Amino acid sequence: MLKARIIPILTFNGFGLVKTKRFSNPRMVGNPVQTAKVYNSRGVDELVFLDIFASTQKRKLNLKLVSDVIKQCYMPVAIGGGVDSIQDINDLLKIGADKVIIKSQALLNIDFIKEAVSFFGSQCISIALDGYKTASGYKVYNTLGVDISVDDFVSKLPNVGEFILMSVDRDGMMEGFDIQLINHVSKLTNIPIIAAGGGGNMDHYKQLFLQTDIRAVGSSSIFHFTQFTPLDIKNELSQIGIPVRI
Amino acid sequence: MVAIIDYGMGNVASVQKALEFLNIENTITDDHSMIQSCDVILLPGVGSFAQGMRNLRERNLIDILTNEVMVKKKKFIGICLGMQLMMDKGIEPYECAGLGWVRGEVAKLEIENLNVPHMGWNNIEVFKNEYYKNCISKDFYFIHSYHVVPNIDSDIAATVNYGFNIVASIQKENIFATQFHPEKSQTTGLMLLRTYFC
Repeated sequence: MLKARIIPILTFNGFGLVKTKRFSNPRMVGNPVQTAKVYNSRGVDELVFLDIFASTQKRKLNLKLVSDVIKQCYMPVAIGGGVDSIQDINDLLKIGADKVIIKSQALLNIDFIKEAVSFFGSQCISIALDGYKTASGYKVYNTLGVDISVDDFVSKLPNVGEFILMSVDRDGMMEGFDIQLINHVSKLTNIPIIAAGGGGNMDHYKQLFLQTDIRAVGSSSIFHFTQFTPLDIKNELSQIGIPVRI
Repeated sequence: MVAIIDYGMGNVASVQKALEFLNIENTITDDHSMIQSCDVILLPGVGSFAQGMRNLRERNLIDILTNEVMVKKKKFIGICLGMQLMMDKGIEPYECAGLGWVRGEVAKLEIENLNVPHMGWNNIEVFKNEYYKNCISKDFYFIHSYHVVPNIDSDIAATVNYGFNIVASIQKENIFATQFHPEKSQTTGLMLLRTYFC
């Protein structure tokens, strides 16, 4: 049986790991290579590493650093940040990334995603979908001036490998997942979703798996700021009958 | 010495990293004489079936690989796309002949109410234990939208359940292959590779 995936998300600012709240107030939380090493030794299911400022600061990912992070990992790693060309994707796959995460360029140029999928196969192209609630429904958060609903964005995309669905409203708040948003997106697509944003205690994870049909969750704050580890979450989920890899 | 075939189908770095961790001598190559002189051939790969075959053809690798594996019976391991390419034909994104070393074809995963790709950790059921005997866990990392359908059941080394029983591994004479990624399956995957190579 397919196991629920518990995935630490490492967000990076070009110098060190940071954690935001509602996509602002980045707080330094550590060294990426050291952190990757710890997660590998704990046998986590997968790792997501995102340079969350690369696009807005018009930087490219630091490939040397990404490569050092990947070298620590004997599990799948998804990498994102400022990816806007076939060459960028190729560079990341070459140094051992399993999936490449794209956001800005997916909003600006859907043809790029189509090209990427046909070139590399859908399974290695992940889309970061940052949703937030408005009076007129869920929209995709961005600083590019693109005004698009979550529904329209999802329907325009070709078959990609996976969505990393982050609730902007819940990011870093540790007050629970946006179940409504997650169920909303899950009905729109048959593509796997990593739900993220809001996990703060064990009950939040149980509720996520009881109230939605998603099979993967991404988290940062709970691992940075509490004593809980991915294994603790798995043990909790296992008690309510969710299959996990322990 | 293991020849990791370089045919431009991504992610040879992870495979090499796993072999280096296990202290297994290897080289990433598309050089014919190098492939001929190696003891084991490893065909990795992610991406589409047709692109994979095209890349093998462009590098003139089809005849040499077929000769090494099917005539000289050299030890061969295929991973993910590398397993699918061994079959008679694929359909991604259009119908296309494969290497034809194992009878059968590649089909699209279509499962009601389940996500595609089949992505994540799933436990396999092993029918041929030779290389799996040291794996304490049977959880491996899968990421695929297509699956192989061999004509001959006895070629199947393991299956995985995702809506139905999908072929997870093939073993036939000198040929071994996995749909999952042992190089991404942590201790369990490394143990499988160690058992296979050492």
